[in-house]
Amino acid sequence: MSESYEPKIVAFTCNWCAYAGADLAGVSRMQYPPNVRLIRLMCTGRINHAFLLNAFLSGMDGVMVSG
Amino acid sequence: MVITQEQIDYCMECGVCTGSCPISRMMSNFSPRQMIKRTLMDRDETVLHCHELWSCLTCARCSVRCPAAIDFPEFVRQHREGARKEGNLPQLAHHGTLQAIAALQARNIKQRRTEWAVDAGRFASSGDIFFFIGCAPYFEVVLKPGVGSGEVPRSVLKLLNRMGIEPVISNDERCCGHDALWSGDEEMFRRLNRWNLEVIRGSGAKTVLFSCPEGYTVFKQHMPKVFGELPFEVLHVTEFLARELPGAGITFKPYQENGSGGVTYQDPCRLGRQAGIFDPPRELIGLVPEIPFVEMPRNRENSACCGTTAWMECSSCSKALQLERLQEAQDAGAGTIITACPKCRIHLTCAEQNTEYSLHITDIYAFLLKQME
Repeated sequence: MSESYEPKIVAFTCNWCAYAGADLAGVSRMQYPPNVRLIRLMCTGRINHAFLLNAFLSGMDGVMVSG
Repeated sequence: MVITQEQIDYCMECGVCTGSCPISRMMSNFSPRQMIKRTLMDRDETVLHCHELWSCLTCARCSVRCPAAIDFPEFVRQHREGARKEGNLPQLAHHGTLQAIAALQARNIKQRRTEWAVDAGRFASSGDIFFFIGCAPYFEVVLKPGVGSGEVPRSVLKLLNRMGIEPVISNDERCCGHDALWSGDEEMFRRLNRWNLEVIRGSGAKTVLFSCPEGYTVFKQHMPKVFGELPFEVLHVTEFLARELPGAGITFKPYQENGSGGVTYQDPCRLGRQAGIFDPPRELIGLVPEIPFVEMPRNRENSACCGTTAWMECSSCSKALQLERLQEAQDAGAGTIITACPKCRIHLTCAEQNTEYSLHITDIYAFLLKQME
């Protein structure tokens, strides 16, 4: 693996907590790496395991569920 | 597959397929003969867009009876290739998780496929006998608890160990592509099995054992068509055990019925009608002394499918077929149903949950292991 390797991570975030936190980070002009792609869910209860596997199938290197 | 004009003519005057089809009895708009007519007589291209194409269980109950020797499941399989290209896709069970797991295995990934085996028994990394585990350990993780699919490979490994055999098992084994093939995705089937061939060749195995009838028929019937003759012997575990177990010096405890009723055997479609293996599982069950074995009215070639295939189109129709089968077993006086397919075990167990049936559903390997002295 080369040193310039940058993983692509998808984050499934809850509307009421993790997504709100990411939003607050945004309005506070905090910087965070662009490796993470957020997908907002109304609740992480919406997750089923096919989401996680399909993220890997679509080329993601990591999956984060936050909420 | 080529269907001749003569076959079509015979087909149009018959209808044994539709009369035999378990789906046709539940869904009046599903007719194998009409589908042949629409496709080959009427040249109706909308067949590729119709949803009935995905309703077929490919259980082969029609094709074993067809007097014109039309292989309807193969006809369906080929048209599913076309339907997929047209964007006509099936409704996947379990949110498509099992299809995603199969697709991930077509890549160069690191699996922990044999983790369960460390506690279950002894195995080797090279040798004459390769035990192809199949996807049952993955099913155990994905499906609701209690369906017991993980018990299948664990029992086989323990049985083989008791016979003094330490088979090769591999983390690099892939899905056999059965479901992809029957869902009209032959390319996925080829990609997965290129890996499998490499892994089996690398182990130096001369015999490959399958506990799952789906993997078995894929290697026995479909792989040679694509990859040519395979450089190893392909055996189902029931075939292997029926041949080796009687001389292995293993004795069985007499069956303790204790009011639990008789024991019956569910013929899996792939193992029975497709591969013609009816006797070895019955011989193995017969090794147990005092076994109260009963046959269900629909057995062997006439056996009933467990209701779904390839993790798709699980519907009220599937449930009806499954409950009908449980009722049939109960009416035959059975308290235990033994199958030789992890999916039959899963589907019948799933159907039984939340019903009044209290049949014990198990597989032949777990059953034999339990009866060993």
